[in-house]
Amino acid sequence: MENFLKKINVIAWIENRYPLREFWYKHLTHYYAARNFNFWYYFGSFSLLVLLNQIVTGIWLAMEYTPTGEEAFNSVQHIMRDVHYGWLIRFMHTTGASAFFVVVYLHMYRALIYGSYKFPRELLWLIGMTIYITLLAEAFTGYVLPWGQMSYWGAEVITSFASAIPFIGDDIEVWLRGDYSISTVTLHRFFSLHVTAIPMVLLLLVFIHLVALHYVGSNNPDGIDIDHEHQTPDDVPFQPYYTIKDLVGAVVFLIVFFSVIFFMPAMGGLFLEAENFTPANPLQTPPEISPVWYMTPYYAILRAIPNKLLGLIAMASAIGLMFILPWLDRSRVRSIRYKGMLSKIAIVVFVISFIGLGYLGIHSVSPLRTTMARVFAIGYFAFFLLMPFYTRYEKTKPLPEHITK
Amino acid sequence: MKYFFIFLIFIFANVSLAQEEIPIALEKVQINLSDTQSLSRGAKFFATNCMVCHTLIYMRYNKIAEDAGVLYDKMPINVKTWPNGVKPPDLSLEASRRGSNWIYTYLHSFYIDKKRPNGVSNLLVPTTAMPGIPSIFQGQQIRVPIDQDKRIYLWKYQWYDLLALQTPGTMTPEQFDATMTDLVNFLTYASEPYKVQQERLGWWVIGFLLILFIFVYLLKREYWKDVERSRLS
Repeated sequence: MENFLKKINVIAWIENRYPLREFWYKHLTHYYAARNFNFWYYFGSFSLLVLLNQIVTGIWLAMEYTPTGEEAFNSVQHIMRDVHYGWLIRFMHTTGASAFFVVVYLHMYRALIYGSYKFPRELLWLIGMTIYITLLAEAFTGYVLPWGQMSYWGAEVITSFASAIPFIGDDIEVWLRGDYSISTVTLHRFFSLHVTAIPMVLLLLVFIHLVALHYVGSNNPDGIDIDHEHQTPDDVPFQPYYTIKDLVGAVVFLIVFFSVIFFMPAMGGLFLEAENFTPANPLQTPPEISPVWYMTPYYAILRAIPNKLLGLIAMASAIGLMFILPWLDRSRVRSIRYKGMLSKIAIVVFVISFIGLGYLGIHSVSPLRTTMARVFAIGYFAFFLLMPFYTRYEKTKPLPEHITK
Repeated sequence: MKYFFIFLIFIFANVSLAQEEIPIALEKVQINLSDTQSLSRGAKFFATNCMVCHTLIYMRYNKIAEDAGVLYDKMPINVKTWPNGVKPPDLSLEASRRGSNWIYTYLHSFYIDKKRPNGVSNLLVPTTAMPGIPSIFQGQQIRVPIDQDKRIYLWKYQWYDLLALQTPGTMTPEQFDATMTDLVNFLTYASEPYKVQQERLGWWVIGFLLILFIFVYLLKREYWKDVERSRLS
């Protein structure tokens, strides 16, 4: 066997037909990244890990799941009770959905503080934002599938947003649902989108995101330019240094991830809402309808504005402003380390506002909470809209020649 | 805008009214899903007392019922008409939906209320359509006035602060508590039959990952040694 392999030389055979070695060199052993990547730099690779988890567990769930109004809820219980380790596969998928947003939000926060969206990485940022939007669509269609009360009424509320569009809104709403209200038709098409169309788009976008990243090179906590194609004292080859470092991170991530799966999969109602243990009932509205935690910051902005259309415009622009972030930031430096005090205050205000809105979006409305939501919404928008001014006029610190610690 | 604020005041008024309702604390129930004897006692109690009305559709309940001597054609799934048109809920996922403490407290909180059509009310669900089945065992309870001195200091009331036993039931309070604990244990099992396996497997998985971490971390340190050295020089 060994001699036989030597004779045909498998690697050489492939090499003549596919750039295997070239790929390995270009993207791993000869792709150089700054040597001072810190905690925040783990979340890109974690996102890939969670994506893989979602695809694998999703394939197994789809084997036993039935996307009809009659059977959907039952088939989920069938997975939980009758399928061997079905509960594990499902909890890996449900926890994975929330974990995806945790790691993606932290990944985006990293880009925010170290200016990874600035020249020459604007397109990288735009592709990333498109991934985020696609992920929201994937999460939303997936949340409908268990066909519990919150699945049903969440879908009802979110698809009804379309009806706020003047003139054609009602038609769009019916077109989205395939029916006059959420029904088995809607469930079936959301299943199709969730398991085929959106994941394919997601994988393609992730691929393009990585191509763009490796073309311009990774940013670093100092936000200074380094040569990602040649070894310098500032950088290390991705393989083996960052592959092994990310592996350590991945194990720590998995410890946290599996602790949730095995010991608190519902996360006190944040990851799996109690109301969703009741089968969907079109005749009975639950007392409180709220989306899952990762969508609540936008939901809080929507509710803070008394007019439905204006609220939707505010909600859409909250996400839209993130797209134009590279052109709002006029600073000479990328990293928060060398930006001025105003930028630092702004980022603190932004984080408090985003988390505050997320908290308020989970809870029911009260006058105090509406006022707070408005204050946080102002904080959120001010971060973006004032950015051209505070980044341009504040005093920045001089950039170092080389990578610091 | 003006209407919106009026609307908000309206909501606020409702909230403050709701707060006038006496908040009830949920009593913590000590259940053990590994205690199979407790589970089978709970299952037996469920089959003989609850299954007259309630289903457990995800529990292969007809087998349990047959074992307990319930006739299949009298089982709830076959009954078409219910008093007041309210179908008793399926309880397969009740513990996931409400929590075990909620069920335990609910089963303790029935009291006589002549204003209700079925003569009983419940502290947690005042408009409950369920007749006071637990009262057969627990005894008839009546609502007692709130101790105004206590009210200042307490955030929430326990069900036993508000209810008093009027006529004893077939069980002593201790027996009733134990039986309800078994029942809640069984219902929790019915909601999450995988739970025991889940937690047992969890320790193995986390344990494996912790050991893996040691090796992967040492490997990483070995690789990064030369980078640390070049940084110092």
